[in-house]
Amino acid sequence: MSFESFRLSVQALAEAGWLPSALSWGFAVNALLAGLIVGPMLGSLGTLVVVRRHAFFAEAVGHAALTGVAIGILAGEPYTAPYGALFGYCLIFAIGLDYLRGRTGLSADTLIGVFLSMSLALGASILLILAGRINVHILENVLFGSILTVNGVDLALLAAVGLVVIALTAVLYNRFMLSSFHPALALVRGLPVRRLDYLFVMLITVVTVASLKIVGAVLVGALLVIPAAAARIVARSLAGFWWLSIGIATFSTLAGILLPMQFDLPVPSGAAIILVAGSCFLICTALRALVPGLKGNVL
Amino acid sequence: MSPRGPGIALAGVGLSLGGTKVLADVSLAVRPGSIHAIVGPNGGGKSSLLRCLLGQMPHRGRIVLDWPGEAGRIAYVPQALQFDTGLPMTVRDFLATLSGERPAFLRPRPATLARIEAQLEHMGLAGKADRRMGALSGGERQRVLLAQALDPAPDLLILDEPMAALDEAGARMIEAVLQELRAQGVTVLWVEHDLAAVRRLADRVTALNRGVVFEGEARSVLTPERVLDLLSHRAAA
Repeated sequence: MSFESFRLSVQALAEAGWLPSALSWGFAVNALLAGLIVGPMLGSLGTLVVVRRHAFFAEAVGHAALTGVAIGILAGEPYTAPYGALFGYCLIFAIGLDYLRGRTGLSADTLIGVFLSMSLALGASILLILAGRINVHILENVLFGSILTVNGVDLALLAAVGLVVIALTAVLYNRFMLSSFHPALALVRGLPVRRLDYLFVMLITVVTVASLKIVGAVLVGALLVIPAAAARIVARSLAGFWWLSIGIATFSTLAGILLPMQFDLPVPSGAAIILVAGSCFLICTALRALVPGLKGNVL
Repeated sequence: MSPRGPGIALAGVGLSLGGTKVLADVSLAVRPGSIHAIVGPNGGGKSSLLRCLLGQMPHRGRIVLDWPGEAGRIAYVPQALQFDTGLPMTVRDFLATLSGERPAFLRPRPATLARIEAQLEHMGLAGKADRRMGALSGGERQRVLLAQALDPAPDLLILDEPMAALDEAGARMIEAVLQELRAQGVTVLWVEHDLAAVRRLADRVTALNRGVVFEGEARSVLTPERVLDLLSHRAAA
């Protein structure tokens, strides 16, 4: 079955009342498919982001994307998909930051604060130059996500990135986990801890850029962190942690895409996704407080 | 039985951190298949020396491992397991992660599960596989760390104060393990504060206070006068 006939089938089912009526629109099916990739990808990687304490880093990469978009437009890339500058700038930002961590004696949060401020200043300066050439309101789509703009190219890119990231995460999961849990032990076991660190920040960057259209630059970091944080609160094993994080991320993404369309709410997809994920986090917090068995033995 | 562990030779090893001399011109030799203890005051550079040996610190001088054949497996038991105690990682998860056979979010193979249960039983931790790592006592964590070091079987075992958090039963268990390893020809380099245990178990001992203070047969060289002199002084300036 081709992608086009699949989409038409979904639209037909929605029109017949078997699926939510929002799916009678072609762009909504695109967005839903994107959500089915983004959710598991961010949910899986998010568990490692939380364990490695890279939450602020993921947020910073998301914000750096704004400058990447500005550089792309300045360089003549299409303003709806300046992927060359986005990937290039965000990778330089992430690798540069990781390189200087441990070489400056500064804590990670201080270094991220410095990089983030510099990046936003650069982005703001370039946007001022661009103000006369483009309607800067199109940047709202980059900042907060817009399912209306997800096209076949975006889906293909997302699917390719999703496949690579999920495969690498699955194969290297134990290595990433051990090198975060106890780096000295990981080194003795022969793991290339520093190289794993670089690979991990590159994965975060690539995932962030590929998810921009759905979740938005400001909020993609949050979707890496919130489902995993919620799962960590109530999970009792690594398996529970991983599966629950994926479940919450996927549910939040799909609900955040469908609910505003279904109920005609004027909310960008990114914001709706994060509001759903945030609600899941609050529910998990309440569950932990109410169910004694979920507290574990750690106060 | 011929030793399967390596001999270790350190020659003129020095280490400075932030302008402070941590190790100065340390030279010592560890015989293959022996238990070699390192004792000394806090701040005397014992753990730093282990980290130099493990290749985790840039140092001066030479460190050579002389393996009897092909290089074997090095295992390490750190002084303390500092980690995020709220992480939902059970003892089984931790050991399965180290086994590296399947991603930790999938159920390990039955053979791996059986091996983990056997490891835990050997360490006196039967029935603790489902406990969170963060919920273990210091002594239990130390036993888990020893369990991970013994599987797969090591040829060189590096121990950094393994008895620090253990009760009497735990210390006896470590002693039994060390004797098993000596019988198997494994080389053990062991940083320890418990000098009575060192006298009982170690073949040789090196006293370290940034530099080598004395060394020799553990039973004969650890005289009360020398020990008092070593431990009653702060780390050398």
